Amino acid sequence: MNNTIGIINYGIAGNIHSVKKALEKAGGKTLIINGPSDFPLVDKLVIPGVGSFKGAMNELENHALIGSIKKFDKPILGICLGMQILAELGFEFGKTKGLSLIEAEVKPILCDGKIPHMGFNRIYVKTPNKLLQGVENEEFYFMHSYEMVNYTNISALTKYNGHTFVSAIYKENIYGVQFHPEKSRKAGIKLLSNFVKL
Amino acid sequence: MNKLTGKYGLPLEVKFCKKCTMNNQRPASTIEFKQTDKEKKQTLSFGVDGVCDACRYAEMKKSINWQERHDELENLCDKFRRNDGRYDVVVPGSGGKDSVQAAHILKHKYNMNPILITWPPALYTDIGRRNFDAWLDAGFANYTYNQNKKLHRFLTKSAFLNLGHPFQPFILGQKNLAPRLSVLLDIPLVIFGENEAEYGNAIEDNEKPTRDPKYYSAEVSIQDLILGGVPAKDLIDDFGFKLSDLEAYFPVSPYEIEKTGTEVHYLGYYVKWHPQDVYYYSVENSNFMPNDHRTEGSFSKYSSLDDKIDWLHYHTTTIKFGIGRATYDSAQEVRNGDITRAEGVALIKRFDGEFPQQYIDDCCNYMGITMQQYHDTIEKFRSPHLWNKINNKWELSHPIWKENGSK
Amino acid sequence: MTVRIIAKLDVKPPYVVKPVHFEGLRKVGIPSELASKYYDQGADELFYIDIVSSLYQREILDSEVERVANNLFIPFAVGGGVKNIDDCAKIFRMGADKVVINTYAVQEDPSIIDRAAKIFGSQAVVVNIEAKRWDGRWQCYTDCGRIQSNKDVFDWANEVEQRGAGEILLQSVDSDGRCRGYDIELAEKVVDLTNIPVVVSSGAGSLEDIKNLIEASNPSGVAIASLLHYDRTTVQEIKQYLNKNLVMPV
Repeated sequence: MNNTIGIINYGIAGNIHSVKKALEKAGGKTLIINGPSDFPLVDKLVIPGVGSFKGAMNELENHALIGSIKKFDKPILGICLGMQILAELGFEFGKTKGLSLIEAEVKPILCDGKIPHMGFNRIYVKTPNKLLQGVENEEFYFMHSYEMVNYTNISALTKYNGHTFVSAIYKENIYGVQFHPEKSRKAGIKLLSNFVKL
Repeated sequence: MNKLTGKYGLPLEVKFCKKCTMNNQRPASTIEFKQTDKEKKQTLSFGVDGVCDACRYAEMKKSINWQERHDELENLCDKFRRNDGRYDVVVPGSGGKDSVQAAHILKHKYNMNPILITWPPALYTDIGRRNFDAWLDAGFANYTYNQNKKLHRFLTKSAFLNLGHPFQPFILGQKNLAPRLSVLLDIPLVIFGENEAEYGNAIEDNEKPTRDPKYYSAEVSIQDLILGGVPAKDLIDDFGFKLSDLEAYFPVSPYEIEKTGTEVHYLGYYVKWHPQDVYYYSVENSNFMPNDHRTEGSFSKYSSLDDKIDWLHYHTTTIKFGIGRATYDSAQEVRNGDITRAEGVALIKRFDGEFPQQYIDDCCNYMGITMQQYHDTIEKFRSPHLWNKINNKWELSHPIWKENGSK
Repeated sequence: MTVRIIAKLDVKPPYVVKPVHFEGLRKVGIPSELASKYYDQGADELFYIDIVSSLYQREILDSEVERVANNLFIPFAVGGGVKNIDDCAKIFRMGADKVVINTYAVQEDPSIIDRAAKIFGSQAVVVNIEAKRWDGRWQCYTDCGRIQSNKDVFDWANEVEQRGAGEILLQSVDSDGRCRGYDIELAEKVVDLTNIPVVVSSGAGSLEDIKNLIEASNPSGVAIASLLHYDRTTVQEIKQYLNKNLVMPV
């Protein structure tokens, strides 16, 4: 086991280049995951996030990745959309089933501010964990129009225009962050190095 | 044995410069006050390496000692600078970037006291008017010679119908007015912007700081002068125009020039002339504005903005020489390192020769001709060796984007 | 949330250039070097616009974009000559987080915005508006501020939001590169009538200009070019100044 982190490649939507570079900067070794046969080669998994809930689930299905992700019992980090698809149901472009690894749903952010929620914002840790160690009150970059509506497993919350939403979750081996650590300067790299060191 | 040439004495084979986007059909400057439609043009020279004179000059410019040239200009200014508060240099222009820079540099860097003079466009564009005002707003006085409009209109129309060159009346006055006012105001020093030689006249023209007097001064009699393709004598005898008004278009008497000691210099000899740099200088040191959108027939917004007739001018150069504004602009920008030759070709393909829709109505109304007359007239001037009619549309037979057989 | 301070790179590969009124190609640096410099200064985001792709009708050139993306751990928006989904995908593969679109959407087919938003997510689609005052209104321009459209800026801003754009980059042809201040009236109006984030650009000549813009129009971000490229200030200095002097209405 040489601590290789697999990054799910789900096709057209997306920049996994940034996640890869940031993980490497944080001291990790990476491998791009294109199919089920790549899973045994990695010790951790990162699900990056670009695109839409529906689009992402379709791609995962097309590449036969859903089963392997669900079976993966080592650390997983879902980023932004990658965190959202861990939920049971997403409401972007109609209802789509997610990976159902977390009891939650993903719905449009409803608040007075400009949507998407775009920019650096602070997290407030409710339940500390190893991932967020050392970055408990840092600002991270958010870019999303949907939020995870979750009644358990909340690690951190974030405030935006009078509205509070989930910015990080944690359950067993699964971590999720609504923000983009790979786009969040030093704080982001620190968080990713925490993940590398798990 | 006569070498076969096309219309206007242009070379039959179109050759493109290897470095820039200009080609061998480009005519050099003419002595306008003698121009007839039978005139054979002198065209841009190429070396055996396929590089044009303008590029060759651009290459030479790299080894010029500009500090030395600056010193020469300083000496020139020292010679003519007045300490009694009176004007000591005539700066011609109309508020375009070149005259904006010239006026500003002479005043602020060389401590001169310029008087601006203007031979105005026949039809000012809005942006031209705004820039003219901004030029004076910067703190300069200006003498504008407003031509007898009836005459100017007549000459513009004649020049268009007889020579396919509606811009001629403007060029005539632009070259002559400054030396004329130099004599009238007794201010010997005249400094223009860059030199047309930059663009491909004889390289020798670039090696002197002064404009060749042959362009603005001549010992000529009325008998020899031709304006708008019409002999000056006929303008007086048959069309009832007065010598007093016509004189504005004539070359200045060399005797007067000598008496005043008039010297016509061009700034392009003393200062490294990079048109985009001049644009930046203008916007950084005055309220000069570029065009509101790209100028028709080209991609750029910073050159030749003030005269609606200019739009027609470039259309006629396209018809006669196959060279439009985008070719002129891109060739200059390639030479100055702003764009590559390939980029220039893409821009020419996209914009060159565009019909001057924006001001065609204004210009035709001004000249008192119909649109049909416009189209019929330009057909007379189309060079057969440069154009083919394909599916009832005129296409260039040798466009630059098809050189070497490419598409 | 504090206003994002964003460094804007106008690129004519292989150089960053700084036009004035979207004209002129004066070179001010190398993209990857300037990106690094502004990242180190604390920039919140980087915008990279290839300003000649549409004008020259060619593809956006990769190598500079990739070089910039390599060491950048802030969001990176890239645009220039984007005409279809393949162009968008190419930009993401080069390392961008957001794709920026203008000319094609305005002059040819605005539905590219819808399609891009569906596939890549609204948050990853930025519409660049080159606004110019014309006849008492503001009109949309394309091809590096050179070609008029008949689209009114306010109508277009609403339309692109409907179509799914996640962000607007608002530029002003009148103010660009002149360092005499932003077009505040334009900024106020566009921020007011849209519900998506607006990044305002064009015209910052001083720290005070930036402060005035933010206080008047409350944008999501401000993009700075000349002030940074000519080394008249740094991102740190801007942030410090704003921290100290910005007075937002309650």
